[in-house]
Amino acid sequence: MRKVTHYYSLTPEWQLDVVEQLNTKLIDNKIIFIPKEIGKGFFYFSQVMDGVSVVYADLTAKEPLKITRLRSDNELYIFHFDLSEHINLIKINNIDYQIGAFNQLDLAILDNQIESSFKPAVNERTIALRILIDKKLLHDFIKKISLPESSFSSDTPGKKAFYHYGNIDSNSILLIQSLKTKPVEDLSFDSFLKGISLKVLGNFFNKFYETKDTSTEITDLESEAIEKTKDYLMNNLYGPFPSLTFLAGMAGMSASKYKSLFKKHFNNTPKNLFIEEKINLAQKLLKSGEYSTLTAVMYELNYTKLSYFCTKYYEQLKRKPTDDFVKKHHRKNKKVT
Amino acid sequence: MKIIEHYYGADLSWVEHYAAQIGGKIEGNFIILPEDSQTGIRYFLDCGDGIIAYYIDVEYRRNFQLIQKNLNQDFVGFYYNLTEGEASVSSGHFMYNVGRWQYNLAVIDGSLESKYDVVKGSKTFALCIFIKKSMIKAYAKKNNIVIQNIDSLVDSKENTIVRFDRMSSESFHLLDDLRKLEVGGAIFDLNLRGTVHLLISNYLKKIATKRLIMQTVNNSDLGNIINVQMYLINHLDDHFPSIQYMAKMANMSESKFKSLFKKITGDTANVFFMENKLLFAKELLEKKQLTISQVSDQLHFTNNSYFASKFKEYFGLSPKAFNKQL
Repeated sequence: MRKVTHYYSLTPEWQLDVVEQLNTKLIDNKIIFIPKEIGKGFFYFSQVMDGVSVVYADLTAKEPLKITRLRSDNELYIFHFDLSEHINLIKINNIDYQIGAFNQLDLAILDNQIESSFKPAVNERTIALRILIDKKLLHDFIKKISLPESSFSSDTPGKKAFYHYGNIDSNSILLIQSLKTKPVEDLSFDSFLKGISLKVLGNFFNKFYETKDTSTEITDLESEAIEKTKDYLMNNLYGPFPSLTFLAGMAGMSASKYKSLFKKHFNNTPKNLFIEEKINLAQKLLKSGEYSTLTAVMYELNYTKLSYFCTKYYEQLKRKPTDDFVKKHHRKNKKVT
Repeated sequence: MKIIEHYYGADLSWVEHYAAQIGGKIEGNFIILPEDSQTGIRYFLDCGDGIIAYYIDVEYRRNFQLIQKNLNQDFVGFYYNLTEGEASVSSGHFMYNVGRWQYNLAVIDGSLESKYDVVKGSKTFALCIFIKKSMIKAYAKKNNIVIQNIDSLVDSKENTIVRFDRMSSESFHLLDDLRKLEVGGAIFDLNLRGTVHLLISNYLKKIATKRLIMQTVNNSDLGNIINVQMYLINHLDDHFPSIQYMAKMANMSESKFKSLFKKITGDTANVFFMENKLLFAKELLEKKQLTISQVSDQLHFTNNSYFASKFKEYFGLSPKAFNKQL
């Protein structure tokens, strides 16, 4: 196995060491072509802006290769995005992590203070984008990121040092994919790579700024359908509760989906909501002074037992129906049933 | 009409004067204007390396004439202009309409005095990029690019750069993506810088491939082709209209239409249509309102698998995988 060791810095000088070990040449302080006996491909380094640099690797190794990154005193974080269609290994603290698009876990964030090594699979094309960021620059981001830590994969044993392991979002995958087809000799490649790196970073932070909002998981169409069934319930408070099956049919979903979405949307089950609204209406009717007996109100709202009605009423409003009842004044008019 | 005289530059010294002239004030990186003259956002950012980005997304409430007279003439301005409405750029001997469906990319030398007229009610979305000439020259030298007459191109005495062009659809979608983001803050800055770099990259690619210069095309032909483009963009939901139909619409023979379309947009009509369709599909998926098969049906793909294969071919990722990791 061929071994290469290196360290990272935001400036190009770290490459000199790598070039010497690989016995190849450094072009423009940017490109290192991998010599034929090891494989095919290149590393491309570029300084994106103050405090941000990028290394892009596109290589196919002919023999086992182990690239060890030594820890250095540069205060850096390394974002490793892996788009290889097979599994590569990253070794951190003597634990091997699988990484690559094939594995669906394709993002690793490493601290420059921890040593790690990267083993690309043999005879497969490895595509990796590494963004190096100055810790100072990232400081306020980090604070926000460490909060929703749980949204990362849970494979982070030994949380002493800062490193993560997770997924790249789709838009960033598309961006990095588009790098694959760009010829590296092209004059537009440098700005292209810089642009992609910045946008990928932007996407990353964007994803973690946004705390996962559950309400976004329900589509407009669905919420519209659910609103519709709610309106239906509100307009039919005088009748019995229409069955769940009926409501689900009205919303065009299965009963179980309807129930769970309804609960998500209104924080209440359809039946409970119906009863609550019914009781609220009952209070209104009782206070209206249009009825001469409690029973009349009860029948109006399609209850059959007064005691049941009273219990529900008390449960919700913490007072008895009689407390709210305003009796109808004696008039000649016949009361409404 | 409000007439304003101002200057730009490849550093931020122009901002204060500019803001004072148009009657706005500076807050952070924003230039805030009174509601009665225009509404929206003006945002500037120093991208480093002698590059300034100026982001404009406003609606004009009155007619404006902006006269650009630069104090420091050592830069070139790239104006990506997607105005919906009426706007034009003029100088001593020329005048061009600019906007989304006109010339939407102007490259103008800082040494040139120019006038920008915009009519009340126009909605402007534009990104201006100011780059130091020395940067361009150094950049070209560093990358060993042979741009024809690079020296004369950047030497203001010999030749002033004035180019009116249509941006590539790739660039257009970059801007479209940028527009969706909330302006301001560190994340937006990253995206803005990224977009600027990508736009420059696109432009360099274009120069290197020596695509046809738009100004050499007959004006009415250009207008017709753009009309067809507009038609295609507005009918992404439908099937691809036949070449015959489009040629008729553009008043050209089929062969002329085909070759001119390719020259102007860089793609054949079919590829252009499909690409935009797929990008639109991606946008729909991002909104998470429709399922993959609903999107496929809405855009009139014959079946889901054809849609999926096209999507994968273009983006390198299947719609399912895309949805999963959104």
